Amino acid sequence: MTVIEGHRISLSQRIAEYRHYPTLFLFLTLRDITLRYRQTALGIVWAVVQPIIPMLIFTVVFGRVLRPETGAVPYWMFALAGLAPWMFFANSINAASLTFASNHNLLNKIYFPRAILPGAAVAACFLDWLVSGVFLLGALLWRGYKPTAEWLLLPVIGILTAGLAMAVGLAAASLIALYRDAKYLFPFAVQLWMYATPVVYPANMLPRKIRWCIGLNPMSGAVEGFRSCLFGTPVDWNTVALSGLTAAGIFLAAALLFHQMEADLAERV
Amino acid sequence: MNSISVRGVFKEFRLGDHKPRYKTLRELLSRRGTKRVPKNATRRLALEDISFDAAPGEVIGLLGRNGAGKSTLLKILARIHRPTRGRVELRGRVGSLLEVGSGFHDELTGRENIFLNAAILGMSYREITRKLDEIVEFADIGSYLDEPVKHYSSGMHMRLAFSVAAHIDPEILLVDEVLAVGDADFQKKCMQRIETVGEHGQTVVLVSHNMQAVLRLCTRALLLEQGRLVEEGPVHEVAASYLRIGGCDSGERRYESGLRAPGDHIAQLRAVRVCSRHGETLATAEMGQEIGIEMQFEVHQGSLVLFPVLSIYNQWGTEVLWSTDVGTEWHGRPRPAGWYRVTAWIPPHFLPAGTMKVSAAVSSLGPRVEHFREKDVVTFQVIESHGVENARGRFTDYIGAATLPKLEWSVDYECASVSF
Repeated sequence: MTVIEGHRISLSQRIAEYRHYPTLFLFLTLRDITLRYRQTALGIVWAVVQPIIPMLIFTVVFGRVLRPETGAVPYWMFALAGLAPWMFFANSINAASLTFASNHNLLNKIYFPRAILPGAAVAACFLDWLVSGVFLLGALLWRGYKPTAEWLLLPVIGILTAGLAMAVGLAAASLIALYRDAKYLFPFAVQLWMYATPVVYPANMLPRKIRWCIGLNPMSGAVEGFRSCLFGTPVDWNTVALSGLTAAGIFLAAALLFHQMEADLAERV
Repeated sequence: MNSISVRGVFKEFRLGDHKPRYKTLRELLSRRGTKRVPKNATRRLALEDISFDAAPGEVIGLLGRNGAGKSTLLKILARIHRPTRGRVELRGRVGSLLEVGSGFHDELTGRENIFLNAAILGMSYREITRKLDEIVEFADIGSYLDEPVKHYSSGMHMRLAFSVAAHIDPEILLVDEVLAVGDADFQKKCMQRIETVGEHGQTVVLVSHNMQAVLRLCTRALLLEQGRLVEEGPVHEVAASYLRIGGCDSGERRYESGLRAPGDHIAQLRAVRVCSRHGETLATAEMGQEIGIEMQFEVHQGSLVLFPVLSIYNQWGTEVLWSTDVGTEWHGRPRPAGWYRVTAWIPPHFLPAGTMKVSAAVSSLGPRVEHFREKDVVTFQVIESHGVENARGRFTDYIGAATLPKLEWSVDYECASVSF
């Protein structure tokens, strides 16, 4: 029996509802993927090409001019290994943040647990990352790297990053549903966030004084962790742990924000 | 055990919330200052203390004028809006059909859209694969199944969308105005489907302005007026009082001022009404009744041959009849200036049940000039009356014909001969 009452439904009841909608999640994800690559000549190859283009730009501009210290790893591989998780994160947020505003017609006609919309957007981007990740591993093997035990940690980092992307995307979608101004602000915020994260430069380029706290930016831990595991360089556990904590905090805050407004979403969008 | 139970439901909208409104950051920032809008000044009560129950297998119609709160109530049952106060209990899975083709995407193929749309409507993967053939057959799209929907005709698009929606089998089905779209065939399929849903013990709540549909499908009806539940009972009684409060049509239109009236310097329309032989104005007519369409017009400039024309369109926009004043002494003769009142009589058992829209015109030929032509000048309902021997007879199924005359039939019968 379903009971609808004036006050908000409890969080646990909401979460329980998602059990009934795996099919919707699956098909929304498939729709996003299909629509992205249908009628493109390259198709899923775009998932691989997408991080390669900025990698080339950064290699020419950043790698030549600033000559960052990337150890044994050539700069282009270093940048590619950073851009792969970052592009997943940025694309996820950009796609997820618009889902409520652009599906307002659907939200107004049919009930389903609303977080499925941004969730599917993130899942579709995750598949891209999976493809580009496999390509990256192939490139490493081709360059003579041997698979290491750390590679087994890559899926864990991937899932944690997806969780973070989901949280930020959900919060962004909720905010955009309320304030359309946010739609114009978020792309800039995401861009700024990228430069605040050691994506195209190594963390050791940062001043020693602030290096202990770069984990406060959860994407620092994700990108650094991803890269360390990939190249087998020592993992900065301090940063990764701090990032994990802030990511958990962001996840909780986003879930609460969304829960606050989910019941009235259709009226507000 | 009731499948729907609604107790004391209130719904309050902050004014402007029901239409898309963008809140801007500036608004948020400025609200932090002193100018706060008084809370009660911008509120509107859309539903006030609504309570009702529905038993399994019941088909309930929601009647009321535009803005009476029908759609709001349906949206609360569908969990799209939440009530400000009150409690709703629903037993069983709820399917809502508030729009046909929600979530359809032009770039996706028919098959992909079936899966996506069915999933949005709450069906599981297994259910969809089980019903896929049935859905495709019902939609009658044949080889187009794996073509992108953008290549579909609008009719195919509609059929596919409805077919998906028609195959969700929830315990509770909520339907809003879906019957108002599409051609006659589509509406017929729609009606038949909802009828079978009711027969299988599922509960249906239906909102429609199509009186014919409500009367045929529903067992019970609720009448809403300005957010309040004013009547509840058997559908025929509630429908009668809905039409009495002037549901949607008055059956009469007058143009008091000559300036506003349609027409030109030769002839102007002054009034149109639907009436009975006793002279009373009708908003609703029974099928077995003679229906008069009366038009009054003023001729400013005499000596032209004028043809007054009345036509009737049904709810699907089909022109059901066209008539001019053949047989009167004025037909084909020049008319002097003055005021004319003409009435065309539609014989009983001619129009089927449904919404009829009258179009009134006066024109002259050679050169052909239409002095005025008012479409939808008045609207009236034709209803099937109980206990009257009408053209339907004992046939109980849906009839989608534009006219439903009682014709003279003859029958030749031959006894089946047994041959050795």
